Amino acid sequence: MSITESHLAQEAIAALVDGELTAGPANRAARHLGGCMQCRLAVEAQREAKEALHDSADVAVPGDLMSRLCAIPFTTDVPGSGGGTGIMTAGPGELTVTGASGAWSVDLKPRLRETSDHTARWLRRGLAGTLVGLGVGVTALALNLPGAAPVPQRESPVAGPSSPEEHTEVVPPVVRTLTVGTNTVLSQPGGTP
Amino acid sequence: MAPSWEQVVRDHSARVYRLAYRLSGNAQDAEDLTQETFVRVFRSLADFSPGTFEGWLHRITTNLFLDMVRRRQRIRFDALPEDTERLPGTAPSPEQVYADTHLDPQIQAALDALSPEFRVAVVLCDIEGLTYEEISATLGIKLGTVRSRIHRGRVQLRQALAHLAPRAPVIS
Repeated sequence: MSITESHLAQEAIAALVDGELTAGPANRAARHLGGCMQCRLAVEAQREAKEALHDSADVAVPGDLMSRLCAIPFTTDVPGSGGGTGIMTAGPGELTVTGASGAWSVDLKPRLRETSDHTARWLRRGLAGTLVGLGVGVTALALNLPGAAPVPQRESPVAGPSSPEEHTEVVPPVVRTLTVGTNTVLSQPGGTP
Repeated sequence: MAPSWEQVVRDHSARVYRLAYRLSGNAQDAEDLTQETFVRVFRSLADFSPGTFEGWLHRITTNLFLDMVRRRQRIRFDALPEDTERLPGTAPSPEQVYADTHLDPQIQAALDALSPEFRVAVVLCDIEGLTYEEISATLGIKLGTVRSRIHRGRVQLRQALAHLAPRAPVIS
């Protein structure tokens, strides 16, 4: 038998682990591995290294990097296009830039969520608009009430677009007076049983 | 409905940033590489020749990374005594690395210890899932070179991991 005489080449070991060997060589390698512990260990070592890397999850793109990337068309000069960056338009699946040097385009993966995304954004915008409108209405109502007690004042920052400073300035004194008040009230009946 | 530049960024930035992070091993370099990759994409859309958009991004990112490494090797060679920037004390903590990358810090450290050429081949194969042919096209090297770099890279990787974190004893 000559199957254990020549060991698998190092390149073949990597290719075997990655499924990159064609049928013939893969079968020969499998036959050899059946009788060769040394090559089996080498294959196992490759597989372990591969799996150690394979488990890595996605990395989140930092938010400020994201906004810098989005701003590239406004912060980057395109050499040769004489100033402007051209007009960027796109059909389904491609991005076309029309500039001084002519039009060019690049294929992109087809995206099916495009339209629903857009309507969702509009829906959200509409909702936000309605909520802001409601908030302004509630605040206006509260301000128009004659002799409005601290109660509507405290609630208005929650419903409407009032500034948060107003909220923090109003609340602490109110809370403090309340606790002082209850303390004195409680101590009196407690002191006289 | 048109895919805008913002859409292109949103669709591809995660992959580019991940690749840049695995290659460079730290957030600052990964951000710089990602930014530069997208600047190149924006500037040279006109020169883009047929092929997949992803393949193009891989090529730009890996080339920028290899350029960066070579530039730093030259600088370090010129200014060896003063080079304190890369001392272990200034490196991010293992917790920070994990929080940033979701990759075991020891594995990232083992990756960082590989020579850049091996690292690129291994990362493209085992993290990005490219075929040998795609890696060969991305790096402009022969298939045989791809195979041997991946093999040797993994051997080194496993040695480094065995040294850093002894695995459970092999069951006999």
